[in-house]
Amino acid sequence: MAVSTAVTPVVRTVTQQVVVTYKYSARTHVTTVTRSRKRRVKARFVGTTIYLLNAAGHWVRIPYIWSARKAALVYDRRLHLALIAAAKPKPKPKPTPPAPGADPSPGYVSQDPARHLLRRATYGSTPALLEEVARLGIAGWVDRQLNPGAINDSACEAVLARLPDQAEPIWQVHDLLDRDERSGWDQLRGVMTAHVARAAWSERQLLAVMEDFWGNHFNVTTPGAEVPSSRAHYAYTIRTHAFGKFADLLRAVTLHPAMLTYLNNRTSSDVHPNENHGRELLELHTVGVDAGYGEQGVLNSARILTGLSVSWDSGEYLYAPWRHWVGSVSVMGFSHSNTTKAGGEAVAIAYINHLARQPETAHRIAVKLARHFVSDTPPTSLVDALASTYLAHDTAIAPVLRQLFTSTEFSASIGMKTRRPYEELIATVRTLGLGAEKGTGVESIEALIWMAGDAGQPPLGWPFPTGHPDVAAAWLSTASTLARWNNTMNLVANWWPTTFTRPDLRQHLTHGVTPATCGAAVDMVCLRLFGRTLTPAHRAAVLAFLDEDADAPITENTGVLTWYLEQLVALLLNSPYHLTR
Amino acid sequence: MTDIECTTCEPSRGISRRTVLRGMAIGAAVAGVSSALGPIGTRVAWAATPGYTGDTLVVLSLRGGFDAMSAIVPAADPDYYRLRPSIAIPAARTLPIDSRFGLHPSLAPLIPLANAGQLGFVHAVGLPAPNRSHFDAMDQLEQAAPGSTLRTGWLDRMLALHDPTGPFGAVQMGSTTMPYSLAGPFPALGMDSLEGFRLHAAWDAASTTRWSNALTALHTGAGAQLQGSATGTLSALATTSALASDANASAVTYPDSNLGRALSDAGRLIRGNRGARVITIDEGDWDMHAGMGTVDGGWMVDHLTDLGAALAAFAADLGSRIANVTLLTITEFGRRASENESQGLDHGWGSAMMLLGGGVVPGVHGSWPGLTDAALNDGDLAVTTDYRAVLADVLTNRCGASTSEVANVLPGFTGATLGVTRARA
Repeated sequence: MAVSTAVTPVVRTVTQQVVVTYKYSARTHVTTVTRSRKRRVKARFVGTTIYLLNAAGHWVRIPYIWSARKAALVYDRRLHLALIAAAKPKPKPKPTPPAPGADPSPGYVSQDPARHLLRRATYGSTPALLEEVARLGIAGWVDRQLNPGAINDSACEAVLARLPDQAEPIWQVHDLLDRDERSGWDQLRGVMTAHVARAAWSERQLLAVMEDFWGNHFNVTTPGAEVPSSRAHYAYTIRTHAFGKFADLLRAVTLHPAMLTYLNNRTSSDVHPNENHGRELLELHTVGVDAGYGEQGVLNSARILTGLSVSWDSGEYLYAPWRHWVGSVSVMGFSHSNTTKAGGEAVAIAYINHLARQPETAHRIAVKLARHFVSDTPPTSLVDALASTYLAHDTAIAPVLRQLFTSTEFSASIGMKTRRPYEELIATVRTLGLGAEKGTGVESIEALIWMAGDAGQPPLGWPFPTGHPDVAAAWLSTASTLARWNNTMNLVANWWPTTFTRPDLRQHLTHGVTPATCGAAVDMVCLRLFGRTLTPAHRAAVLAFLDEDADAPITENTGVLTWYLEQLVALLLNSPYHLTR
Repeated sequence: MTDIECTTCEPSRGISRRTVLRGMAIGAAVAGVSSALGPIGTRVAWAATPGYTGDTLVVLSLRGGFDAMSAIVPAADPDYYRLRPSIAIPAARTLPIDSRFGLHPSLAPLIPLANAGQLGFVHAVGLPAPNRSHFDAMDQLEQAAPGSTLRTGWLDRMLALHDPTGPFGAVQMGSTTMPYSLAGPFPALGMDSLEGFRLHAAWDAASTTRWSNALTALHTGAGAQLQGSATGTLSALATTSALASDANASAVTYPDSNLGRALSDAGRLIRGNRGARVITIDEGDWDMHAGMGTVDGGWMVDHLTDLGAALAAFAADLGSRIANVTLLTITEFGRRASENESQGLDHGWGSAMMLLGGGVVPGVHGSWPGLTDAALNDGDLAVTTDYRAVLADVLTNRCGASTSEVANVLPGFTGATLGVTRARA
């Protein structure tokens, strides 16, 4: 790893030990080259990934890794297998149909591809978003969302301006907290409130979704002890890297005071390496628990991370060489002599870059993205394709998402996901057209944090490093179900909180048109809420709930669009028509 | 370690809201399929067996750090009076339990229970090593698996020894925010109250029926699990509605407080025979850093008065059913041995646990380390009994857990049982 680990490509002339014969252990993944010949080649290093020019003049990846000990490129069978797997020609994508996931209810949602996209890629579609997709097409709309800086988000930013600035340097927050000029509680509450506000009102919807996705992948439970000074900046860090290269995101997160605190690495040392962060970096953040690193891998991982710490004085990231464990390390195909305390940070960064580019990491990120956006049990064909794209683009997230949303597997997955309680809550806010309270307060937004918590999914609040589960089966308990039902009624009827700005419900749903009959009124409301009408059986049940006949005329005394409208809307939003994503 | 680590405290006194938020993080929805929960599920290494036959275990968490020495007063220890010149409970005012300890006079309603052999105490009890941060200490206490990567609470692991049999096997009463102790795959139900566990949209019986019919119909056609969650919730609502009805009212008057209401509902649930194995209750606001008052009145007196009256009412309400109930109190840490400049007590270490039930061995258990400068740990009452020894005792004697099952619930704990409870008949 003598080669620079900067992600800027570096072209150098180096020695390549071209493999002639080798031995490979499928168990340990160790390649032993038994015969080779040397040649000098011009190689392009992108981090630890190596490319050579092929006959056609293109840089192509080769199954060689840089060996510092041999000062040469050496063959690696494991990498070779991964490259073969990734490069396998897939002439016609033969999508496996999404397996029936934990519990899909596909019959409930509109089959319109635009609505399908918006149910998945946003916290809930709006008439404006539907127009936008119609104008730009699916790929065009996704591209626009993948470039969030170009999207005007001034309305949401005006709401966010009521909260502490998340980009504030950590030392400054630390200092304010130290001097009691700001409370830790306010600071943490601000993080949660901003998270909710973005989900509800940001025009950069895909960014808000991905911020939650990465926030859970790299969970730092909020509120939590000892992270008030760094938690807002942590959210900011995740947001800025959400569509970039995973390697950059991983490095920024792993070296962030919030994560170093949460997983105890700030107090880890050469004498007593704390394995918490080293383990989760492998198990949760990158290659996954089945990658075969073993307990020895965990120990090596923890040793590599020793020294990555946090300044007690400023709260900022600090590399503390005196804490770094010195000695040879080896884990998941990364090895380093790691001979000096001063050099420990560079070793750790090289290790992080290495992990980000492992095929196991590619697979794991692909599975998680596909599980979030496609199905609780995502199709293998899609996962493999996304993993290849991830590796081919040097861990860039945007091309993976672009591929996902335009895949046949995605378009075939209509109705295969169920909204989790937090997602359902925000979708309700959006479909009802609720806005943050007037003035400069945030109590209405904070109420959503409590409501989501009541339903079991407080934003950023999962108590373990694993993040909120992303499958329907985890969210169907009695307590969660009842809390969801009650939250909906509270929001629809403006019972609590009472401070949201809101359109007149009838006007919002009928645009001033009065349908002729009760049946037509139910249809109109459903079209507005779901883009479809109900099945005949469900329609009959709703009319029975209203105690009306389908062809009963709407008169001044009919409750459907007046005093019974809130009940009707709450009932509909508590059905699988709204819960299905 | 600083005295006050409440960097996340609200400016006002008290921990209650923060506790709620912390608890909220556990989620009311940690139910469902273990594979869905990833690493949480991986700990299911032993087979669940049907047919739980132990006590209903009521775990009352005194959130914020309970000052045991104000409640179970070391009235014969001169160092206690030396360390707390303005807030100590005078020996003459205490209600003697034995030659060493007396109860705070506000706990007078508990004396008949002590005399009836239904009340016991463990003093100088706590986490095996000091942890003076609310969050960390609560998490450690309720995970009860130090040094492990288990992502479940000890009660969840206890519950998972037997198959679930209905929605009321594990209930958090008084709040919808679940404690860490219940985190894990076993389905647990959180409710503010039996009466409050209802569909807010329905205003009377007819409206309830209408909602119930419509929700059932609209979920017909959904995936089996989603459909089941709706029908299961509606059925649980019907049950709680019946339990909350006047027909189920207790003859006993509970104090009109959060704790009184929660225990009253726990009593209804137990009397209603709904298969409750574990009921948890959070009672906050014990974080008395300043102005806790004296024996004649104030914050501590108010809280102990409520606690004593509520526990006495609960015992009376249960009547003979108390033979199959064990209630224990637990807290994240005790408080400093010496008072601070503000007539309060900062975060400490050793505290006490109270046990109430038909199988409790009365008296003050545990070894009293004393409060001399040499006996104190960094200024705190030293812990001479690992709190897990109490849990292991109750699990073994009252919850029917075998030695290996106790080891699954409390991994790594190898201490001896204490003898604070008797084996079930």
